Amino acid sequence: MKLIPKYIRRHLGIFLLSMFFLTMEAVADLLQPAFMSEIVDTGMQNASISQILFYGKAMLGIAVAGAVCAVARNHFASRVSQTIGRELRRDMYHNVQRLSMENIDRLRPASIMTRITNDVAQVQEFINGIMRIMVKAPIICIGAVILILIQTPEQSPVMAAVIFVVFLLILANMRIGYPRFGAVQKQVDRLNGVSGEFLSAVRVVKAFQAEEEEARKFEAVSLKLAHANMAALRTMAVFSPLINLVVNFGIVFLLWISGNAKSGEIGRLMASINYMTQVLFAVTMISNTMHTAVRAAASSDRIREVLDEKPTQHMPKEPLRPNIQGNIRLEHVSFAYAGAGREALHEISMHIHAGETIGIIGSTGSGKTTLVNLILRFYDSSAGKIWLDGCDITQIDPGLLRAAVGVVPQKALLFSGTIRENLLWGRANADGEELQAAAEIACADGFIRQSAQGYDTLLGQGGVNLSGGQKQRLCIARALVRKPRILILDDCTSALDARTEADVLRGLSRIADTMTVLLVSQRISTVMQADRILCLDDGRVKGCGTHGELMESCKTYQEIYHSQIGGGGYD
Amino acid sequence: MTEKRSGVPPANFNGIARPGRGMAVVKPENMKGTLRRLWQLTKGQRKGFGWILLLSALASCAAVLSPYVTGSAVSAVSDGSGTVWVLACLAGLYISDWLVRFLQSFCMAAIGQRVIHHMRKTLFQRMKTLPLAFFDGHRHGEVMSRLTNDVDTVSSTISSSLTLFLTYGFTVLGIFGMMLCLSPFLTLVSLSGIVLVMLLTKIITKRTGKLFSKQQKSLGALNGQVEESISGLLLVKAFCREEEMERAFEEKNEALCRVSIKALICSGYLMPLMNVINNLLYVAISVLCGVLFVEGTISSIGLITSFLLYVRQFTRPFVEIANIYNHFQTAVAGAERIFEILDEQPEPADREDAISLRFPRGEIELRHVEFGYTPGRPVLKDISIKIPAGTKTAVVGATGSGKTTMINLLTRFYDVSGGSILLDGHDLRDYRLADLRKAFGTVLQDTALFAVSVRDNIAYGHPEAGREQVKQAAEAAGAAGFIERLPDGYDTILEQGGMELSQGERQLLTIARAVLANAPILILDEATSSVDTVTEQNIRRALLQICAGRTSVIIAHRLSTIRDSDLILLLEDGRIAEQGSHEELMEMDGLYARMYRTQVDFEG
Repeated sequence: MKLIPKYIRRHLGIFLLSMFFLTMEAVADLLQPAFMSEIVDTGMQNASISQILFYGKAMLGIAVAGAVCAVARNHFASRVSQTIGRELRRDMYHNVQRLSMENIDRLRPASIMTRITNDVAQVQEFINGIMRIMVKAPIICIGAVILILIQTPEQSPVMAAVIFVVFLLILANMRIGYPRFGAVQKQVDRLNGVSGEFLSAVRVVKAFQAEEEEARKFEAVSLKLAHANMAALRTMAVFSPLINLVVNFGIVFLLWISGNAKSGEIGRLMASINYMTQVLFAVTMISNTMHTAVRAAASSDRIREVLDEKPTQHMPKEPLRPNIQGNIRLEHVSFAYAGAGREALHEISMHIHAGETIGIIGSTGSGKTTLVNLILRFYDSSAGKIWLDGCDITQIDPGLLRAAVGVVPQKALLFSGTIRENLLWGRANADGEELQAAAEIACADGFIRQSAQGYDTLLGQGGVNLSGGQKQRLCIARALVRKPRILILDDCTSALDARTEADVLRGLSRIADTMTVLLVSQRISTVMQADRILCLDDGRVKGCGTHGELMESCKTYQEIYHSQIGGGGYD
Repeated sequence: MTEKRSGVPPANFNGIARPGRGMAVVKPENMKGTLRRLWQLTKGQRKGFGWILLLSALASCAAVLSPYVTGSAVSAVSDGSGTVWVLACLAGLYISDWLVRFLQSFCMAAIGQRVIHHMRKTLFQRMKTLPLAFFDGHRHGEVMSRLTNDVDTVSSTISSSLTLFLTYGFTVLGIFGMMLCLSPFLTLVSLSGIVLVMLLTKIITKRTGKLFSKQQKSLGALNGQVEESISGLLLVKAFCREEEMERAFEEKNEALCRVSIKALICSGYLMPLMNVINNLLYVAISVLCGVLFVEGTISSIGLITSFLLYVRQFTRPFVEIANIYNHFQTAVAGAERIFEILDEQPEPADREDAISLRFPRGEIELRHVEFGYTPGRPVLKDISIKIPAGTKTAVVGATGSGKTTMINLLTRFYDVSGGSILLDGHDLRDYRLADLRKAFGTVLQDTALFAVSVRDNIAYGHPEAGREQVKQAAEAAGAAGFIERLPDGYDTILEQGGMELSQGERQLLTIARAVLANAPILILDEATSSVDTVTEQNIRRALLQICAGRTSVIIAHRLSTIRDSDLILLLEDGRIAEQGSHEELMEMDGLYARMYRTQVDFEG
């Protein structure tokens, strides 16, 4: 919860302003009954209509002033809460952009998204609403005591006693309630855990006829959650009415004292009763907001986790900025994903010359994508080194490195915007002709032109209005626009039919001499034409050479070859 | 977000924060029908509903009576007559108010949670019977949130809105009655205030409604941007687009911030303005009372006090009721999402004359089996084979050739779209599904383990299994060694659902699970992910052990393991390209022979 004060401090001025208006608003609320009591005690006692009207006007004036204060308070409070929300989102997003992929894997993208959206909303609401209630209650309490002290000092002990008892009750309520609401949160997490487990293991559940067992597990946790909720709600059920009762008895007491004292100042008595009810409403709100506070605390912890996350990769202090040619040397490179027991890559050594086209083949999980991810420095090798044009890759300015690489990812991912905007990802200053040239090589120009708006066709989120093959071709074009020194094609022709794939590969081969190409695929037909082919299995190099060489020397390669030959690459 | 100044404090029975006035209302498609179904869902759980109703009525009674008694008390004090009695009355009223409120919240906590638990249970009961196609076709996160959050929010909002609705309804009626009794003239004046308040609410909510739906849109745009850029972060980094992304994000972020502030400020006018009207009314009544008192039309201070207290409480519920109705609508729309799952077709029920399968021999026959996950895209095409009981059959083929699909059909995760599969001469669909699945022991590719103890993982689906049985199964599967090295042996809890074990260890555990199940027919989907050679030997040995004497179907990725199979099927593009024993296929000198030779050549 330290997070929220830190952000409030940045907007202390507006925050204090809103608190000021809040105080004024509370004062206006408290003054109303004071004037009402004058109407009764002075106006009615003296039978003076002019006095009644005078106090009436005063009351109205105060009401209007109070309303103005309330509007102003709401104005500033909204501003503070929304601005803080915006800053939280911005800071989180900013940090996430700087994190290494290892951090992202650990935090999980889906979780990051909910933290940026839902958790921030939770905190926002807390700042906007709950703080107000928590600040207002003490003001009302103190104000009521002061006013009673001024108007009817003989009643102040009752008021003070009532407030003291209410304060104790609220404290007890918090002490007992807070952990209980915390327990609820924990059971909610467990329920999510159990249902998540069921959903991801549903095949096993069905195969082993364990539906009943799962249902029992789910019901047990669901019941525990219900009990935890019940326990938490019952604390509220005990305390809320109790606080009510104490305040109400305060009223009875006041009446009793006044009855005995025969003070005759009925208006003031009525005012005191009114103060009591105001105090009552102010404090009941506090106990009602406890669960929101618990949730906001949990949310702020989750937000802080993202804000405090430090990139696991170290960026060089004085980065090298070599003129990248595309000479890649891997030296005993090993890599294991964080938390995974075994290595995804083991002792890979290889020299890729600038301008070469290297095919990388292997079954799912053999480490192909991991290898190219290391070259892009999404991850750093756990052992061994990668050299690019004679520089240690970890010492090169990552921006410079990535600017020299054009990558076509396995999952064809496009962003909402026009086709042109997506292609411009490759290079922001590319002109129309360059875009078209790239699209032609990727066999995308044809279908782009066929769509109504051509290059200005709007794509939905993730390019939903395109087929898988069209998306892949746009992704290839995007990478080509970059005119990269190194082109990485990660299994990016899987959704193309054999003929289009052949066309794309032919187009690529025309420009392949100008750059280093890493061509990752599961299909032998895709990589067959490469200068050299790297055959991976279980993170190890099983062979490296031309198609002909591998057919003679590499068992794994031959297996793949035979399992695919004749099929023409069905996948 | 809203602030309560006067009126009945909100009953927050279920601990769910009611979102503020600032919300976009989602309208349900079929309010009446959904409500009726919700009501049916509470069947058997309605014990106590009557009490809640009664207590709500009593609570409003107390709320209605207390200003009157307070007024009388004030009156008595001012007269100096018989205070004790009135005060005793007031104290009694307060005590009963306390008792009623306490009982109401206390019962509501139990009843509400019971209903929620029951709903969750019902939902899960349905979910577990749904066919695999449902789980393959829905995002897990979405289904999960329906199981947990939706049920909670929906049912608590609905139940609390209903009780609030009741309480407010009773209160308004009661107060109105009391006010009429006290002074019809002043009541008339108050009503004019109510009309003003309602008009104001209407004007402001109309404006804020537009702003809030704008805010919702901005939020959607921002969420879309976040989703797109976070799930595509790798690409953002690859193309060095971090700054552009941040700029785009900040643009949407700022737009959201701006429209939210506007919406909040606009909706923030409602409460203060209402208060002004309320106060105006209050002042007007105060002044009127004063004038009437001076003129002698009203003689009792108590009446004035009571009436003023009533006026304070009168306007609030009107606004609240409108507000509650909005929440209620949104909750009912949420309930419709829950019913969507309840309306999903479960796995086809067993036929009435379904055959029970006690001791299957294990003879399997596929007759012209056709299957596709989506219409028009067949995965298996016209497959016909016969697998005699007690034999070992291996299925080989490239990725995507349909191997796993065959398993999905055998275990009836999916039903064939054409042709039929027979077990011991009867169509699979003629058997009771439970018996059928019991007849198959499966080791699947995904080594799903649960966050329970190792023992419970091995005895999965067979909770009756004894310690000795579990141990034997682990030994047979070659898993006993590593299990005994775990900190608590068989009682070690796999906190992370098995992720703390190596791939090979996880696989051995799933094999042990199949051993314990001791099913007459075995289905093994040999995992693609490789493990180190020692573990692989272990797994292979374990598999050989449990296959002995049973009908077994193995999906193999390494040909060396399946050489001794009685029948090898080579799938290609959804068809059987070659079939026969290893020797026959070698003799045929086709694709299988080529694949095999390359392996053996190199294995030396």
